[in-house]
Amino acid sequence: MSFTTDARITAAIRPRLPMQLVGGWEVGILLFMAVLYGVGAWINPGFFGTTDALSAVLRDTARYGVMAVGMAFVIVNKELDLSVGSTLGLAATVFSILYDQYHYDLAVGWAIFGALVVGLLVGLINGVLVTRLNVPAFIATLTMLFIGRGIVLGLTGGQTVSYGDKAAHDHWFFGIGETNAFGFNSQIPIFLVVAAIGVVALAKTRAGYQTYAVGGNAQAAGYAGIATRRVRMRSYLLAALTATLAGLMNVAQDKGITSQVGQSAELIVIAAVIVGGASIAGGRGRVLGACLGAALVVLIDKVLREGVPITHIVDVAGVKMSVQSYAQLPGGAVQAFLGAILLAAVLIEPWAIRGGGAARIWARLRGQPAPPPPDLGEAAIAGTQMRGSASEARAVAARGLRAFLARRDSAAVVLTVLLWLVGMALRPDFWGSLDNTFTLLLAFTEIALVATGLTFVIANGDIDLSVGSVLAFSGAAAAYLMKEMSVAPLTAAVLAMAGGIACGVLNGWVTVRFRIPAFVTTLGMFYIARGFAAWLVAGRQLSGFPASFNVIGRNLYEVLDAFGIAPSGGWLLALTQALYAQTLFMGLVALIAGIVLARTTFGQKVYAVGGNERAARYAGINTSAVRVWALVFSAACASAAGVIYVAYLRSFNPSAGMGRELDCISAVIIGGGSVFGGYGTVVGALAGGAVITLIRALLSLQVLLPNGKSFVMPQHWMNVLIGLILIGAVVGDIWLRQEQILSRLFKRRARGTP
Amino acid sequence: MTPIIEMRRIDKHFGAVHALRGVNLHLMPGEILGLVGDNSAGKSTLMKVLTGAYQRDAGEVLIDGKTTHFTSPQDSRDLGIEMIYQDFALCGNMDVGQNIFLGRWPRRAGLFVNRTRMYAEAQDVLMRLKVDVNSVFQKVESLSGGRQQSVAIARAISFSPRVIIFDEPTANLSVMATERLLETMAELKRQEVAQIIISHRLTDIFAVGDRVMVLKRGQAVGDRYIRSSSEREVLELIISGTPDDALTAEQALQGAA
Repeated sequence: MSFTTDARITAAIRPRLPMQLVGGWEVGILLFMAVLYGVGAWINPGFFGTTDALSAVLRDTARYGVMAVGMAFVIVNKELDLSVGSTLGLAATVFSILYDQYHYDLAVGWAIFGALVVGLLVGLINGVLVTRLNVPAFIATLTMLFIGRGIVLGLTGGQTVSYGDKAAHDHWFFGIGETNAFGFNSQIPIFLVVAAIGVVALAKTRAGYQTYAVGGNAQAAGYAGIATRRVRMRSYLLAALTATLAGLMNVAQDKGITSQVGQSAELIVIAAVIVGGASIAGGRGRVLGACLGAALVVLIDKVLREGVPITHIVDVAGVKMSVQSYAQLPGGAVQAFLGAILLAAVLIEPWAIRGGGAARIWARLRGQPAPPPPDLGEAAIAGTQMRGSASEARAVAARGLRAFLARRDSAAVVLTVLLWLVGMALRPDFWGSLDNTFTLLLAFTEIALVATGLTFVIANGDIDLSVGSVLAFSGAAAAYLMKEMSVAPLTAAVLAMAGGIACGVLNGWVTVRFRIPAFVTTLGMFYIARGFAAWLVAGRQLSGFPASFNVIGRNLYEVLDAFGIAPSGGWLLALTQALYAQTLFMGLVALIAGIVLARTTFGQKVYAVGGNERAARYAGINTSAVRVWALVFSAACASAAGVIYVAYLRSFNPSAGMGRELDCISAVIIGGGSVFGGYGTVVGALAGGAVITLIRALLSLQVLLPNGKSFVMPQHWMNVLIGLILIGAVVGDIWLRQEQILSRLFKRRARGTP
Repeated sequence: MTPIIEMRRIDKHFGAVHALRGVNLHLMPGEILGLVGDNSAGKSTLMKVLTGAYQRDAGEVLIDGKTTHFTSPQDSRDLGIEMIYQDFALCGNMDVGQNIFLGRWPRRAGLFVNRTRMYAEAQDVLMRLKVDVNSVFQKVESLSGGRQQSVAIARAISFSPRVIIFDEPTANLSVMATERLLETMAELKRQEVAQIIISHRLTDIFAVGDRVMVLKRGQAVGDRYIRSSSEREVLELIISGTPDDALTAEQALQGAA
């Protein structure tokens, strides 16, 4: 066989770079950036007018751009890596700990090696979890995000590490972060090299073609003989490697770290890749676009962060003086805005391109009849997603204890009892006491309330990553309304709830209207709501609320006392002092939610949608409405928890609800929910919440050792363990409950095949 | 006798692709019609136009002689047309009873699911169908493919339909399950339910069908009565039939006589 190249084919594939770019997305980004820079220079000539600004934007773009190259591979592969910010932080931290003269004081080469090993290890773990253990990417990498941050906190102890003096001796490495002899930062050429390699690798090589194939249709790619798992694994390793590189660039520039290094970098990087024209649904995206997207998002970030110089006239004792100052957006606002950009960018593909939305608006602008929306292929036959499970079949006939053990939520109940017994064994003097029981109940309340709402979402086959942020938002809103705007307590609570519920409505609307996976929508809300919360409380002391508001967070005795009907003694006194109003509220919500989910037709609809959305739609169920209601209910529970949080602590702390999404997703999964939808009960979620509460309490327990000393686990490591538990629960669910891996393993053994 | 379903000169485009061109179809009460043809012949598209999952570009759909404009499969269900999809469209996480009453679980006090009634009626439907599914309490994902299909059929039956459309019903079934399915189809015919079977397997259609219709590249290339035709003749139509020399079943019958 000889390959004679047809002249027409040669002509067709001959590079037509300029024309290709003119018509492309990339040029749009460039134009938009030019306009944005112009706007920046216009409102703030003091900063954007100088070349310093340009080099600062390029320098920061370099780090995010390097990460965007790796992330482009991940997203084109139809995967997602939320852990890159933590990986950056982890690599920078490991480097710093190894290098710093007050820690391990190693040579710079060893420190770099250590950072690379740890970074690649993160990528490897992500890859194994997603490709081998079938954990959904957003769960695995979100957990890695929290675990990574936990390790950074644990390693640094929350302190700054800085080594400017020692760094002066290793200029060959730290010079990377500085301006070189040619007048620009050395990070920029590194970025250009990485970007060039990325562009060629994704667009011109077999590896790149494999990436597109796997992202477009993993099954077809698999049939075509592509090792899809290896391709996906490779993308996670690439993302981790580029994040590590960015971490090294970071330490080279700063010659030290804070414990926040790399925080929310994943937001900028993912937004950059999506803005750069990649589809969250996989199979589409370019490295060049991702790099330009990084520049654009960094520029937006800079424009938002840099203050606008303003002049006010101040009247000092009759003399009018003009005072120069900066009007600056508070830190949270930038994050909220970037989250909104991420959401908007995600909508570009399904709405404007695939859904013909842009064409419709264009037609309307020209006064022509709009083209009809395309047939969405409602009745397209999707692959069967049935999983046989023999245990379910056996469970039908079981009665009594065996029927209980066959339930998916039984493990959580058993675990709760076991963990409580462990606590009793460790600290018999304290664990069973009334005091400890109150504390446990109180800690349980917040998790249980949020997990109750989340159960509906997870049973529905969706996920709500924004619960912790919505909790913070509504708490901040309640505090802000009462303190800054002197709103009456009840009105403030209602308005704060309404704000939180509005987040849920937005989550639901975007998810069902634009057919965006819920994890993407709620990821956007994760940043938006937390950004707004930080915005509301920025620079304010929010505490000292009216007593009538605080009653929500008091125990029953104080509540009754406020009405003058408190019991004076006996067991009633003990009981009212033990029970908090919030626990009762949570119990009531959980009871109603439990009945609705288990016994009403709405509950059945939730399970039907979670089990097979298409089948539910054919059966005449308004699946969109069910999904929106579930997301709204989840947000309502989270915002109620936020209001209670403020009432209980009598002040608002910006870290409210941080990482709560992890606790609550863990609670639902441990309680028998499935991340793939269709399963989950309120009883299970409550038991799962109890498991999480008990584990947290056990981990912070002061254990008396036999030699008379005592031991407490450092709190910095808590999130690491909770993250590990979530991963364990999800993997356990997938491999034990759904894939029946153990019974298959035994069967295989029995057959004697390897 | 009025046909229960009559489709006249149906046209459907998907962008540049002309998926259906002036296709006619009719189905008499209690009749079993096989719909055959190569891949991309337009069989599934025609059925989706019939049920309202797709909107036709031109042509008419008449049910009992009356023109209809279905906008969703729900509309056609209201007139007694049920479709059983290739993947059965069941919720694996729910049990047999819950699946049979998917989306219209019987209610008590307007809010709660009446479980007693649901399972009793589910049991009734399964009995009527004469299929063996161990228990109405069993989760559907723990059933075999054939039994899952029985549940899907039971679900369709519970609407008391007049027409059931099967999309590739035997594609995922074992030989035994196929035998059972054909028995079920014959049972349905005894209960006066008309059926349309989309299939690649002529053997199955010749085992239970009354009439077979051949589509080719979006056009009808003829139909034949099973009793006066052969698999070989239908196969020739599939391979080399043209719309120009298409004969209806009556014409073919007269031609042979």
